[in-house]
Amino acid sequence: MAARAFQRLPSAPAGRILVLRLAAIVLSLFIIAGVLALSGHSPVTLAELILRSTLGSRFGLEDLALFMCPLLLTGAAVTVCGTIGLWNIGAEGQFYAGAIAATGVALGLHGPAVVLLPIMTIAGILGGMAWITVPTLARAYAGVNEIITTLLLNFIASLLTYYLTTGPWRDRISGAQVSTQRLPVAIPEMWGIVHWGFPVAIVIVVGLALVLSRTRWGYEIRIGGANPEAARYAGIPVRLRIISVMLLSGALAGLAGMFEVAGTVHRLQGGMANNFGYLGIVVAVLARGSCLNVIPAALLMALILDSGIVMQTQQLSASVVLAITGLILFMIAIGDELAHYRPVASTTPKGKAS
Amino acid sequence: MNKQSAPPGVAPGTPPVLQLRGIGKFFPGVIANKDVDLDVWPGEIHALLGENGAGKSTLMNVVTGIYQPEEGEIILDGYGQTFTAPQEAIRAGIGMVHQHFKLVQAFTVAENIHLGWDEAPRIASPAVMEARTREISERFGFPVRPDARVCDLSAGEQQRVEILRVLARKARLLIMDEPTAVLTPEETGELFRALKAFRAQGNAVIIISHKLDEVMEISDRVSILRGGRKVGTFNTADCNPSMLAATMVGRDIVRRNMRARPEGAAPIAPDPVMQLRNVSVRDDRGVETLRDVSLDLHGGEILGIAGVAGNGQRELTHVLTGLMARTSGEILLDGSLVDRADPALFARAGVGHIPEDRLRSALAPSLSVTTNMALREYPYPPIGTHGLYDAQAAGVLARDIAELAQVTIPDFAMPIRNLSGGNQQRLVARREIRIASRVLVAAYPARGLDIGAIATMLGYLTDLRDQGVAVVFISEDLEDLLNVSDRIGVMFHGRLMSVIDAEAADMATIGLLMGGRDAAGTQPGATQ
Repeated sequence: MAARAFQRLPSAPAGRILVLRLAAIVLSLFIIAGVLALSGHSPVTLAELILRSTLGSRFGLEDLALFMCPLLLTGAAVTVCGTIGLWNIGAEGQFYAGAIAATGVALGLHGPAVVLLPIMTIAGILGGMAWITVPTLARAYAGVNEIITTLLLNFIASLLTYYLTTGPWRDRISGAQVSTQRLPVAIPEMWGIVHWGFPVAIVIVVGLALVLSRTRWGYEIRIGGANPEAARYAGIPVRLRIISVMLLSGALAGLAGMFEVAGTVHRLQGGMANNFGYLGIVVAVLARGSCLNVIPAALLMALILDSGIVMQTQQLSASVVLAITGLILFMIAIGDELAHYRPVASTTPKGKAS
Repeated sequence: MNKQSAPPGVAPGTPPVLQLRGIGKFFPGVIANKDVDLDVWPGEIHALLGENGAGKSTLMNVVTGIYQPEEGEIILDGYGQTFTAPQEAIRAGIGMVHQHFKLVQAFTVAENIHLGWDEAPRIASPAVMEARTREISERFGFPVRPDARVCDLSAGEQQRVEILRVLARKARLLIMDEPTAVLTPEETGELFRALKAFRAQGNAVIIISHKLDEVMEISDRVSILRGGRKVGTFNTADCNPSMLAATMVGRDIVRRNMRARPEGAAPIAPDPVMQLRNVSVRDDRGVETLRDVSLDLHGGEILGIAGVAGNGQRELTHVLTGLMARTSGEILLDGSLVDRADPALFARAGVGHIPEDRLRSALAPSLSVTTNMALREYPYPPIGTHGLYDAQAAGVLARDIAELAQVTIPDFAMPIRNLSGGNQQRLVARREIRIASRVLVAAYPARGLDIGAIATMLGYLTDLRDQGVAVVFISEDLEDLLNVSDRIGVMFHGRLMSVIDAEAADMATIGLLMGGRDAAGTQPGATQ
């Protein structure tokens, strides 16, 4: 029997994960550059262009912030649900529900922005919560797997948005396709095209991190997620906590939808969620269960999305962009796994072979 | 040398179905089996008796190829055998029916019978499998419904499926672990008739049981294990239940009296702090796991609960700590009725709980030491004020607990699973003792600890007693029980057989009660 040179540890130190992730990203960039070079593109020119249109210019940074805003909130939505051990795969649907609710308020009520915006915010939050209510109750009272129920509701929300934007709420003014008219109010901008939703999202994520680590509720959620049996033993009302966490998760995704519709797009459009709900899952996985980590994870995801758009302008198809996204995440996942291994001094196996 | 002649009825020259010679099996720090010899003849039902931890399961795992012995040999029909995998034992004709059935609940009976069976047809429709199952069922005389789903079957029916699955694979030696534990008396009767029919065809059965009268009824011979070694093999006809019980538990016990109170210790409180009155619990299958238990806990007293594991101790623990709702009966805390099972309410009332499976139910292994130590006190100041959680105060608490438990912790932020099992145990014990101002329910608190740590743990219990706390000490270790308990209750089949004065208790009486037999001289069900 050969001595094993590596040993897998149950938990990986954070520093090690960071180093391996950076290595994974660099490695994937080299692979991507190689493939692009082989297919006749100049990786250097492309890299220069991408850098210039993302981190390297004010316009690029503004774009990044707009991408980050919904990702921060959907990422937080999935993370907070994951803290109690549940998967909210339905952030996409809750995003739409929030956007629809906010749009309904904007189209249906008339008034100054100071009055309308808070009502739209509340409507967005309630919309997201409403969309996760059935999965929440089914999970808490009947043990129905929330992954399936939240996922299936995404399709309903998406189709509902298409129905509204081509039917009752279609744009009768400018005739835009699959869209409502431009909303009469908008979240004010604070820096170029970046609206105030972005700093609010950052504050929310930081606030959530504090709530989870510094309140009794957060403590109970963490225990409930780490070991439901221990939570029951300590007398924590696990069912109530599940309900509150899932509703909060829906509220965050709904708020993301409201920000998007009132701050970035200014209209309700079919397909406007742009996979932000699903990408929230990726963000949460990258964040490894920590709310604060959602911020860099959302930044990375926004960078990838933004670079993708730049590449599409250079005659690279959308599928190439998806493949690149997949490659980077795949390499990161490998890096995370490798971080669990540490070399051990190779010794002769102890004990006799039996 | 150790030649044993064939019992009457076996043709001369026939070798035993199974012979074990000098079997030894060791785990780190534990001798599970040592020098075990055993002969099982064709046409014999052989009972295997012993306390929990006596090595019965390990021995049977060796016979069925789950473990490989470090010493000794296994001889089947006169030929030496080594099993490197359970499949080889099955192929050699050894079949085991476990106490906890290994069936796929969502599959039909026919599907379960054919699962992982190399003789199953490669392509089989449900109809084919059901026809085959029906045929097997008739051949062996165990009636089953081939198209029924296992989850819809009673325990007895499920057991028949398990047995059939083994017999279909041509087992000649059937090993049954506690087969009657989940059966009704009628089902037990049916099982015994079927086992006798199986024996009549020249097959052999090894039956592990704690029910002495059933051993007397069904077996031809009895082997008794104690501390991993075989004490002896007896013809059942020459035995009686008392003698079996005494042989089972009759090891040398060092009696140290830890009942003596130091000066200034709290006396036994005249009024009970907690009372159970005729409490029963049914599990989701409708089986009564706790039957009509009445119990008074007095401050300043240690009540020991003896019994073979799985006789209702878990349910009793859970009822006493609010984790499990009773089906009937009454629970009184300080004389007032408790109407709902709410562990938080019990904890607030000063009931501490060291559960049997600490890692699974009292700790969140992936969270930090500090987080885990706060589990009982986070709702209260200084940690929990105004709905907040003060991580710093939790850290102070964790340091206090670790110091009292004498556990050195390099980093309180590391996951608690990085600590050794013994250290986790000490931390949980100290955490629970902190909140146990009225009652401490300690389930197997010394299990898995070394001798020094056991003494410390028992010291914790007597200290609490001296402070006037009512301690419930559940253990399988009679030595520990006799040394610290003031009274000892014995559990059997969910029933509290009897509560006896520990000073006057003798091993034979306790052994009998553990085997479900009332001993003369003790009043069954007495609580005072």
